[in-house]
Amino acid sequence: MRWWQFGKRSADLERELRADLQLEEEEQRERGVPPEEARYAARRAFGNTILIREQTHEEWGWAIFERLWQDILYATRQLRRSPGFSIVTMMTLALGIGATTAIFTLVYDVMLRPLPFSEPDRLVNIQEIAAEWSNIYPTLPVSANHFTFWQKNNRTFESMAVMQQGSAPLGAEGRPLQVGVLAATPGIFSVLQVQPWLGRAFTAGEAQPGSDHVAVLTYSLWREQFGGDPSIVGKTIRLNGFPYSVVGVMPKSFRIPSVQTLATIGETNRPSPIGVLEPLAFSKERLAEQMGDLNYFGLARLRPGISLAAATADLDALQHTISANLPADEKATLSIALTPFQQELVGNNRKPLLILLTAVAGLLLVGCMNVTNLLLARSVGQKQQMAVAAALGARRAELLRMALRETAVLAGAGGGLGILLAAAIIPAMQQYLPPALDFRGPLRLDWAGAICALALALLAALVAGAAPAFMVSRTAPNEVLHSESRLASESRRNRRARRVLVGVEVAVSVTLVVMTGLLTASLIKLMRVDRGFTTQRTVTATVDLPRMAYPDDQHRAAFYKQILEGMDRLPGVEHAAVTSVLPLTGDSWGDMARVDGDNRPVTQLPLESFRSVSPEYFSTIHLQLLAGRFFGQSEWGRNVALVSEKTAKSLWPGKDPVGLRFSRGDRTKEGPFTVIGVVANARTISLAKPDPMLIYVPYWYRCEPVAGLVVRTRQDPAEMANAIRQTIWSVDRSVPIPTVRSLGGLVADSVATQRFEMDLLLLFATSALFLAGIGVYGVVMYSVTQRYREIGLRIALGAQRRSVYQLVLRDGLLPVALGAAAGVVIAFVSARVVQSLLYEVSPYDPAVAAGAVCVLLAVGTAACWLPARRAASVEPMRVLRME
Amino acid sequence: MTKETKQRMAVLQGTLDMLILRTLLYGPAHGHQIGKHIQRTTNDFLQMQHGSLYPALHRLERRGWVASKWETAPDRNRDFKYYRLTEKGRKQLAIEESQWKQMMEAVARVMWPVAEEG
Repeated sequence: MRWWQFGKRSADLERELRADLQLEEEEQRERGVPPEEARYAARRAFGNTILIREQTHEEWGWAIFERLWQDILYATRQLRRSPGFSIVTMMTLALGIGATTAIFTLVYDVMLRPLPFSEPDRLVNIQEIAAEWSNIYPTLPVSANHFTFWQKNNRTFESMAVMQQGSAPLGAEGRPLQVGVLAATPGIFSVLQVQPWLGRAFTAGEAQPGSDHVAVLTYSLWREQFGGDPSIVGKTIRLNGFPYSVVGVMPKSFRIPSVQTLATIGETNRPSPIGVLEPLAFSKERLAEQMGDLNYFGLARLRPGISLAAATADLDALQHTISANLPADEKATLSIALTPFQQELVGNNRKPLLILLTAVAGLLLVGCMNVTNLLLARSVGQKQQMAVAAALGARRAELLRMALRETAVLAGAGGGLGILLAAAIIPAMQQYLPPALDFRGPLRLDWAGAICALALALLAALVAGAAPAFMVSRTAPNEVLHSESRLASESRRNRRARRVLVGVEVAVSVTLVVMTGLLTASLIKLMRVDRGFTTQRTVTATVDLPRMAYPDDQHRAAFYKQILEGMDRLPGVEHAAVTSVLPLTGDSWGDMARVDGDNRPVTQLPLESFRSVSPEYFSTIHLQLLAGRFFGQSEWGRNVALVSEKTAKSLWPGKDPVGLRFSRGDRTKEGPFTVIGVVANARTISLAKPDPMLIYVPYWYRCEPVAGLVVRTRQDPAEMANAIRQTIWSVDRSVPIPTVRSLGGLVADSVATQRFEMDLLLLFATSALFLAGIGVYGVVMYSVTQRYREIGLRIALGAQRRSVYQLVLRDGLLPVALGAAAGVVIAFVSARVVQSLLYEVSPYDPAVAAGAVCVLLAVGTAACWLPARRAASVEPMRVLRME
Repeated sequence: MTKETKQRMAVLQGTLDMLILRTLLYGPAHGHQIGKHIQRTTNDFLQMQHGSLYPALHRLERRGWVASKWETAPDRNRDFKYYRLTEKGRKQLAIEESQWKQMMEAVARVMWPVAEEG
């Protein structure tokens, strides 16, 4: 029997009973009983129809649902009678549950959701450790030379691959498009255990220089750019200007996270999603480089049953062999670091996410406490009702049910609204996913989230409803019914419970406020830090040159020279420059510097970050010149360099470096560089820490196909975007310009994650404060209402209004003060956890803690003020006459 | 609902089902007829309210032992809900009957013992 047949069945039973009852009545009448009496006799013979109906329903096996439905109806009716209470409670729960669900979904997506590959727990990321460099780079990407050796000799891996992620212009004519390209060794398909859906994977033979122009497309690129052409396999596409033959299309479900390596890592770089897989081919020279090519992301699949430790031991042994065979001037002690792929992707995003989750759970807790509080106050009003029910024989379990049903309905409604709220916020959180993990498609509320919300609603109902239900179910009918009903007052226990709840609310709120304060102070400091460069009226753009038309430094430099000349001709442009990497978008090219006379092996040389820039770069971003001069176009072709102050002090301590020389560590054929100037230290990699040693070389020495442009203007930079694009395209239509952004925007982007965390915490803390305020208000208001007579009496006996205020404020602020103290203690105890997220702010910052306590006291006082005013305005005569 | 009603029903339940099934052996009948019949045959010994029949009838129907249909009563010219014994119900009646017999014999052996061998 199904529930939707219930109505039909009910009507049927009704009809049956009526027919039979009528028959009985008729028979009675036929026996000569007067009609009026006949009806009663029939009823008597029949029995209690309501009971019959109920018992029959029970036979249908729906009694539980029916009772549940009745409970819901009853509770809804009761709640409608106090809309204020119901709405506040529901909204509180909805906010808590919705926010917690949203954050949980984010955390789940980042940390728990299995990667979309077969047996993802067997996937590990391989990194190398060179003991000599481990103080600067704890781990390094993999070298092609070492990888080849491991691949031949390991015993613990099923398959291995190395890869490098980049981007390239796709197509030749028309508006060029930048796509993400993953160049990988053919092992990638067996490592990830996916095969192309159309066509085939590339072969080992195709991973050789000269035959490597084959491509496997992702499903979405194939759909969007090639209209889902079913005969794409075998056709030729243009990538980087070169013709590539398409050999396959990946399945629709194939998605791969960004695997950018050290060379291109930037915390805020959001790489173009990978659209093309191409073979990674190593030239002979590259394979021969024993220590110079640590550039690739290593990914491997463990054999079944092999532990991480066993695999590490296996590769460590191989690393030992490699180390032993290194030439003298490249001596290094190598070892291996294996990390589960997922963990590697989550990286350092773990902690902030967990803190957010804890904070939002704190908000939910405050919400539950508040609801408990309201329910407790309400339970006093229900005492009478419960006492009557108990006196009429309701059992304890039934009383409990009566007490819990409202809470359950509220929690159910709150949970439902919470789910809606979560569904609405979750898509907006997509942009806050760490770039490496933003590859699974749109983030939305899914089963995990919905289950979380339901579990939270249930938990909230239990947590918030348990105490009031317990109090109510212990009703002693005699006591309640005998006491004067209008004086029905809160028991001492109840009152204490409510104060403790307010205390807990305040404690959690203070903790949240302290955390928020710390992160805010930290972010403010970060934004105010002396960056060493300026951002006013400066626009940036990135370009991605097709490798075919721009195969080497000469061609690229010529192109950049041409567009810079074009920019300089634009009205309103003050300075325009090109740089290998834009400020705060990551680091690039690291290399060793060998000062004249230094003969140490290359692995012991100091490591510097190199930038190749055009002469105007320094003036464009106002990077200050400390000594010497900038380079000029007239020095085209000469190996000159500027160094940062830090480099100058480290490489030439106590000397003026201008005029001195150094060469790149790996003994390249090029002649040495002459230092012509020293520029100030800056923070162009991360706002949080000063740059490492930087060396600026002119762009005619070296140019990458991907570069950034910075343009300082005299007018609104927003208007420049189009002019910049047109200038670039007037030189070459086929160059994609993936981003145009103001330099200030780049700075803001670099702290976007912190800002996001701070914004969320701020939201949580404000909500918690608000709820705590309501909690305090509720408790104080209630106790004032209860004490009208007492207060009236006091005033009648000569108490000053001022002392009434004091009375109420003292009463209300005591739990606030205790709670605030407890909150500060909690915040200090958990300080260690947030420490690593803070920038130049101590987690024990007294100003922040004091500020938080003041805020809470202010909120508490504000919440007490209204009840206090009400109390002070009591008219003694009126109140005393009331009873 | 209180505990007592439930207990009383539980005692009655087993026999009531059997009595209803047995009554229906004569042919289809509606609730009122069944009640009247049981009352009459026991010479009003079983003072039961007709109302208690309906939960039992619906239970039997749910278990598939009886089937119901609205039909016009020949003498009243009105529709009544007639219950009819199903094949399954017939088998159930046999089972219940034999169980009841065994129980009666067992009770009898305790209440009115006869000398046993040995």
